[in-house]
Amino acid sequence: MSTSISHRQKLKPRDQRVAALRLKNNRLGMSIFQVSWIMVFFALIVVNWQLRYSYAQWPPVGVPPFEPLLPSLATLALLCSTVFAQRGLAAFRGGQLPIFALRWRLTMALGSVFMALIAREFATVSAAALATQYGVTMRLMTGFHIVHALAILGVMLVVYRRALAGAYNGNEAAGWAVEGTAKLWHFVTVAWILFYVVLYWLC
Amino acid sequence: MATIAVPVGAQAEQNEQEAVRRPALSEYLRWSVDHKIIGVQYGISSFLFFLVGGAMAMGIRWELLTPALDLMVSGSAYNSLFTMHGTVMIFLFIIPMWAAFGNFVVPLQLGAKDMAFPWLNAFAFWLIPPAAIVILMGYFVTPAEAGWTSYPPLSTLFSGDGQTLWALGAHLLGISSIMGSINFIVTILNMRPESMTLWRMPLLCWAVLATSIIAVMATPFLAGALTLLLLDRVAGTTFFDAAGGGDVLLWQNIFWFYSHPAVYIMVLPGMGVLSEVLSIHSRKPVFGYRMVGLSSMGIAFVGFTVWAHHMFTSLQPELRIPFMITTMIIAVPTGIKMFSWLGTIWGGKIRFTSAMLFALGFLSMFVIGGITGVMLAALPFDIHVHDTYFVVSHFHFVLFGGSVFAIYAALYHWFPKVTGRMMNEQLGRIHFVFTYFGFLFTFFPMHIVGMLGMPRRVAVYDPSFTQWNQLIGLSAFVLGFSTFIVIYNVIRSYYRGPIAGANPWRALTLEWATTSPPPVTNFIDDPIPYEDPYGYGTEAATAYLDAVDESFRNGRPASGGH
Repeated sequence: MSTSISHRQKLKPRDQRVAALRLKNNRLGMSIFQVSWIMVFFALIVVNWQLRYSYAQWPPVGVPPFEPLLPSLATLALLCSTVFAQRGLAAFRGGQLPIFALRWRLTMALGSVFMALIAREFATVSAAALATQYGVTMRLMTGFHIVHALAILGVMLVVYRRALAGAYNGNEAAGWAVEGTAKLWHFVTVAWILFYVVLYWLC
Repeated sequence: MATIAVPVGAQAEQNEQEAVRRPALSEYLRWSVDHKIIGVQYGISSFLFFLVGGAMAMGIRWELLTPALDLMVSGSAYNSLFTMHGTVMIFLFIIPMWAAFGNFVVPLQLGAKDMAFPWLNAFAFWLIPPAAIVILMGYFVTPAEAGWTSYPPLSTLFSGDGQTLWALGAHLLGISSIMGSINFIVTILNMRPESMTLWRMPLLCWAVLATSIIAVMATPFLAGALTLLLLDRVAGTTFFDAAGGGDVLLWQNIFWFYSHPAVYIMVLPGMGVLSEVLSIHSRKPVFGYRMVGLSSMGIAFVGFTVWAHHMFTSLQPELRIPFMITTMIIAVPTGIKMFSWLGTIWGGKIRFTSAMLFALGFLSMFVIGGITGVMLAALPFDIHVHDTYFVVSHFHFVLFGGSVFAIYAALYHWFPKVTGRMMNEQLGRIHFVFTYFGFLFTFFPMHIVGMLGMPRRVAVYDPSFTQWNQLIGLSAFVLGFSTFIVIYNVIRSYYRGPIAGANPWRALTLEWATTSPPPVTNFIDDPIPYEDPYGYGTEAATAYLDAVDESFRNGRPASGGH
């Protein structure tokens, strides 16, 4: 916190106003973006839901349902990672860079575990399932989600390295990159939970 | 009473004899983060696409002058032509054109120095040229033939690679639209001056806010649909192919969940323009200001519940009545706006400027589009005229009679602010007469041929419709000709028009309280808006406007109170 306060003290009142407005804009912009982009995930849920009615039953006859064990473990890993991301952000805001670094490394490690498990699910869809929309929509949804998770994990790595290099000064406005990335990771988590429920539990 | 605290632009010495420096034309061809430059970039590029789409419309009407194929080598060529016409007009003209006015005017009306995210703003614009190139390139390979709606299986089994390029281009345009809309929402909610509450905000800002909310919520659905279309076309999936377990209605549902709200993306900003122009040019407050603002939000909300009326003939029967009801409900907020506009001009000191004429043209034409919309919402009638020229007529009354008339009204109204010069009013009136009657005689007869059973999207038709189509075709050429009048007027006025001064219309909103064109930072200090953006006809408003005029005339800010 001391870093943050000392940085603020250096700013002129007008610059402070500008910085505060920029932060306010960034936060609102990110929230709107998240609400907007989650609609793509909703659209894919609609796709899954409508295609179910092309079949007499879901999963279609002769197609075994997906096992929820591994995806559930992956979901647990993702939930833990999002908690660590948020706690890492809190440490960053408090100027505790070593704790931030530890928590974000845990976030990225758990995020990688999540992606590895889901990638395995993606790769091992049976031929019988892939011959129907049951398997195809599962690949569509998990693949779409993995692309997002991978991209944001990449951003998280860049932000992590820059934060440790002192690029953000621990200041709230300047440290928006850390906050924004954490929010993007929360978005990945929420989007996955929607897919997880639809794919593995609402059959 | 109001305190006069006149917001003054950076070049307050501007008077009626002295023009303010305008940006060099080359500045409009470069990357810029200035919202005013970006607004003009949007405007000029959109207008160029209007010319492209208009030329295609002329080709369509030329083909339909006779009942047989003559201009086109085949029905497929005709399909490609109307597909590109619709795509260009909707995705590359109307939607970006509203981004033009939104970009230029909204930050000024809010007294802001720029949009919330200037870099993102520029990026959103610069996605449009590559998207347009990709879409138009498709026309010269094996073109899309499925109409702007791109229904499968037409867009999957019966269109060439141009359809793939169409989907890629539409994807880029969707991303641009989302980024632009996020920017508008944040700017409007966060960057107003303290004294400008939401209930003191100009109605154009309300309309752009509602439009942007629609765009950020609906456009992602289009992204989802386009992704599936691309996968079906290039990756061998069968989301829209019943033989592979897919469903063609899936596209219709997702596409219309975006595209019906998209109609309001194209019309709502025009409604905002109308509230501005009618109030200013009849010197009266907007009638029912709050209800007009709320009706914009109402349209945005209800607009998400009506999409399946586009699918009445393919929809499950038990869903038809609910969608008929929601479709009729949306006429309520639209009707509120119509009554507001009539109430606004009623008893006003109407000045028949070109902007006002086009606004009145909107009123008279859009009401026809609205009434035929209610007719089409009625299930039995809709089934009768399904896929006929009645539908073509209806949506052109909404999108040309509504959007394009409003775009022209906005052009005549804000051209002085953008360029510092007035447009030629005489040419403006001539332009209006040609546009109004050219439009009326092009599209009104389509109601009749539609009800007589002429199907849309055909190059060959029953010879009994020939005379109607010749009337429509000749009127369309008049309408096409009218465009050259406004082009001439814009170019002539840009170089030789009278100096506009800061506030030629004596308007109360903040964009008129800075120089024309505004300086880079729009205002020197944080401007203080007048208490009521449409409070015309009061002594306080007159005193405020006199003080603004005086400040620009004397080259120093006026201040004081009363």
